[in-house]
Amino acid sequence: MVYLRIILQYAAVLAVALSLNFLLPRIAPGEPIDFLLPEDVLAEMSPEDEARVMREFGLDKPILVQFGDYVAGVFSGDLGTSVSYGMPVWDIVFDRLPWTLLLMGWALAISAFLGSALGVMAARWRGGAFDVGSLVAIIFVGSAPPFWVAMLLITLFAANLGWLPSFGAAPLAAIPGSWEWIKGVGIRLIMPVTALALVQTANILLTARSAMQIAMGQDYVTFARAKGAGEGRVFRKHAFRNALLPIYTNVMIGIGNLVGGALVIETVFAYPGIGSLIVEGVGARDYNLLQGVFLLATLGVVIANLIADLGYPLLDPRARRA
Amino acid sequence: MTEATLEIGAEQLRPRRRIEFQLVQWAGIAIIAIMLLAVIFGPFLLPWTAQEISCQPFETPSPAHPLGCNDAGQDLVAGVLTGGRVSLGVGIATALVTTLFATAVAIAAAYRGGLTDQILMRLVDVVMSLPFLPLVIVLGAFLGASLPVQVLVISLVMWAQPVRELRSQALSLRASDYVKASRAMGGGFLWVTRRHILPDLAPLIVPQFVRVAHNAILIESSLSFLGLGDPLRKSWGTILFHANARTAFLTDSWVWWILPPGVAIALAVTAFALIGYGVGERRLGKVPANTPAAGVVPEDAGALCLRKVSVTYHGDHPVPAVQSVSLDLKPGELVGLVGESGSGKSTLGMALMRLLAAAAQISGGAAWLGGRNLLALAQEDLRALRGQRIALVPQSAMNALNPVRPIGWQIAEALKLHGNPATPQRVAELLELVQIPPARAAAYPHELSGGMRQRVVIAIALANDPEVLIADEPTTGLDVLVQAGIMDLLADLRRQRGIAMLFITHDLPLIAGAADRLAFMEAGRIVETGTPAQLRTGATHPHTRALFAAIPALDAAKLWQRDDPQGAPVLELQDVSQTFNAGWLARLRGGRPVAAVQDVSLSLKPGEVLGLVGGSGSGKTSTARLALGMTAPDAGTVRVDGMPLGHGRNEAAHMVFQDPYQSLRPRMRVADAVAEPLRIAGKPVDPARIREALSSVRLPSDPAFLDREVGALSGGQRQRVAFARAWVTRPRIVLADEPTSMLDQSIRLDVLGLLEEMRQSLGTAILFITHDLVLARHFCDRIAVMQEGRIVEEGPADEVALHPREPYTKRLIEAVAQ
Repeated sequence: MVYLRIILQYAAVLAVALSLNFLLPRIAPGEPIDFLLPEDVLAEMSPEDEARVMREFGLDKPILVQFGDYVAGVFSGDLGTSVSYGMPVWDIVFDRLPWTLLLMGWALAISAFLGSALGVMAARWRGGAFDVGSLVAIIFVGSAPPFWVAMLLITLFAANLGWLPSFGAAPLAAIPGSWEWIKGVGIRLIMPVTALALVQTANILLTARSAMQIAMGQDYVTFARAKGAGEGRVFRKHAFRNALLPIYTNVMIGIGNLVGGALVIETVFAYPGIGSLIVEGVGARDYNLLQGVFLLATLGVVIANLIADLGYPLLDPRARRA
Repeated sequence: MTEATLEIGAEQLRPRRRIEFQLVQWAGIAIIAIMLLAVIFGPFLLPWTAQEISCQPFETPSPAHPLGCNDAGQDLVAGVLTGGRVSLGVGIATALVTTLFATAVAIAAAYRGGLTDQILMRLVDVVMSLPFLPLVIVLGAFLGASLPVQVLVISLVMWAQPVRELRSQALSLRASDYVKASRAMGGGFLWVTRRHILPDLAPLIVPQFVRVAHNAILIESSLSFLGLGDPLRKSWGTILFHANARTAFLTDSWVWWILPPGVAIALAVTAFALIGYGVGERRLGKVPANTPAAGVVPEDAGALCLRKVSVTYHGDHPVPAVQSVSLDLKPGELVGLVGESGSGKSTLGMALMRLLAAAAQISGGAAWLGGRNLLALAQEDLRALRGQRIALVPQSAMNALNPVRPIGWQIAEALKLHGNPATPQRVAELLELVQIPPARAAAYPHELSGGMRQRVVIAIALANDPEVLIADEPTTGLDVLVQAGIMDLLADLRRQRGIAMLFITHDLPLIAGAADRLAFMEAGRIVETGTPAQLRTGATHPHTRALFAAIPALDAAKLWQRDDPQGAPVLELQDVSQTFNAGWLARLRGGRPVAAVQDVSLSLKPGEVLGLVGGSGSGKTSTARLALGMTAPDAGTVRVDGMPLGHGRNEAAHMVFQDPYQSLRPRMRVADAVAEPLRIAGKPVDPARIREALSSVRLPSDPAFLDREVGALSGGQRQRVAFARAWVTRPRIVLADEPTSMLDQSIRLDVLGLLEEMRQSLGTAILFITHDLVLARHFCDRIAVMQEGRIVEEGPADEVALHPREPYTKRLIEAVAQ
């Protein structure tokens, strides 16, 4: 029953994303066709041409039929054709996806680990120098726009110190798969991952700290002390095990934020992932491309959330149902 | 609520802490204010505008252009200041739109509940599951780049989270007794929202506003940075977009081109963050470590021996909570430590375990346990004693178990901590000891009932055969029958194992029957000790005498004798039934149908007092709600003066709730609280009538009292205000739901006396709901006993209470009679 509800919910999320994609070109100012062809082509088209193109794209059919065609197309892997690339959107996106996943994967792992470790430490020595110092730092870092942090990183480490390359994801000269290439990829990950992970680490640190603080104030902690458990044990076996639940939830919610963060950060580093693609799409008014990326990002977040939801009962016995 | 919070009177601790958060908050507000002033007025002070070409491209800083110029020869100071108008403007406008919308949705969802709530919350889930930056980008790309579109688009993706948080708060307000009370008086959606929900929600709306503003500024900058900003208006994001497009960070111009707008964004966002954290963060005051002198071991110390124990709370000024308490516990002795709320009894118990809240400090005395002073032991030695020789059953024992560990694990932990073998057999023995099937060792706390959890806590406390057990209100909040079972268990275990037990409670009838000795505490001191038999007849201290006098005996002369009621029934329930979770929607969510009320028939004549008696979950309150017309029965009829009630509210009736701490909104003035039912009914509020109602319940009616906030009153005074609120409507029926059970013993009979006076002056009929059959026998003319939604026994009060037929009735009597 619970799983059914979760699956229904995410199906609804996908349905909303699909409907939005379908409706946007139709409700936005202008004709749907304006969003399908490049401006220069549109400018030269005669009304007859337009009518022909409308027919070709099925825009003359009833709206529900159009919607049915659209959904059927998406499910058969047809996200339309990119105007700027002249290629199926799906192919372009698939080329870029691994880079974004690589970037996000590292940022997720690092921010989850670092954020919770630092947050738990801050709670352990609450009110101490570490706690206050990390809070002040985190409030400021968490407030800076990630793309700006990225620009400063480039200024410092690439432009002034010359330690790290500021551009792209892989060395152009090396053969993909060679040691040289892998090293190049790794080095080019350092700055984008740092910029992306910083804000997320700040979020998780705050969650972890307050979750630990709340757990330490619970009756079961007092009772554990009354049983004769030492502070270390109370902290590890009782408080931390409970604080893990909100930390886990927050790390998983963070995936959605990371998608957003990756978009802007890739732009700064000209990293060839989905983010750069979306910016190209904005620049070229390539609506099909934008919609395809949005749909894919939604699918990705939905899958991540689904895994998170299904995994949650492993941590929280209260969420298990017979 | 723990006694500790009552005693410190949270109010006393808060002021100083508040100043500290306020500092953080004011710093944030000051930064925002300065930035707003700068961006609003700053541009007027400059000789050139942001769009004007006023210098050479890439000109380096000079006195005329302190930040130099961009690639187009536009002054960067003007750019940053003008850009701030857009960035801050979009942030604040978005926050306003979003918070207003979210508040409306949250209240609607929480108030309407049911299907509306389900649909709105699923929608919130869906919106929150969409990746918001890609969504904003797609929306922005299609809808065009203008400021109103930005505000709209950002609001569209941001409204969901505030709704989720505000709705959960609104839901708890909706479920609060004071909202129930207001609805029971006929308050509708607008009234309740305006008078009760919004004022309490307001402090929570502000942080939501702050958070949306915080995020909106960041999103706006990201959008503009991606080229989706209004191309004709400068904002901090678009400045960075241009800087990035011209790869300014690879040249020296980054210092004046990239740093200032980024710092401005970070500063604005930090300021909002500070305002937000200022609300959430609390600092604990540092309290000096306690170091009473080791002292001399008294001779013949017994199991536990307290000498002049004192505890002080450090608030704004130190408050003595426990003053020079001396008490001895012999091995195997059960001592009841009895006191009303705020008397210091729980503080004393926690002081013995050295588990006091940070603000409390042991300020003197000694507690000897086998030649060692508990109050002066080093932490490590203390740890070895806790749970081994002195154990605790804490106040809210139902929450004392760790929710994510199986109960077997928690019992085994107690054994292991003190080096005892934690074999499955031993764990099983301990579970059997507290009458729980050993097979349940793998169960998690949430899978057990409240009473079972309580018993697991007792098993843990007894795991290492302690010499002393401190039980702090171990049965509070449990059903009366479960309570009786736990008392029996504790008494048995004490006898079997020779444990000295300090039983802390406010419930004198509960302990008087079981204790060897009683110690009465008042205002931090023990005022009298003795055996229950001695004290019942020969108490010397007025406080003790008053407490005993306030417990009527089952077979004593009836305290309230009345003539037979006359006339036609004012209220009749005929075969009413109600089932919860009956609909398909509830089934879909996994709810099981619960038959709360089944074929209940009752009638009440003018001036008559009918007792509706039963354990928790027996359907008493549901019956009262049906009588009030708050809910309509699934079957059967409710008649008022012989007329069927239909779907309306019962205008003749007024309901008085159990807990006066919850049935009155603490921030309301006394005058407003009493006038509320008149205002709801649209009747004129006559000050004379308010004053009359207050003096009828023996409360002052001077302007100063009328102006006081309800939160500043004691429990007894609050319940009187609740009665005045009833009195002012001149009700013909009062539904009183356990009106005395949350009050201290000494004032319970007085409060019932007030009800009786109302009955006499107004001829009110009373439906008195209680679990206490002894009290019902004295106060009521007739008694109806409810079990599992049905009335199992009904008759004249004396007959039901003194000659019960049903076994359930007998058990109820045994549970409360001494």
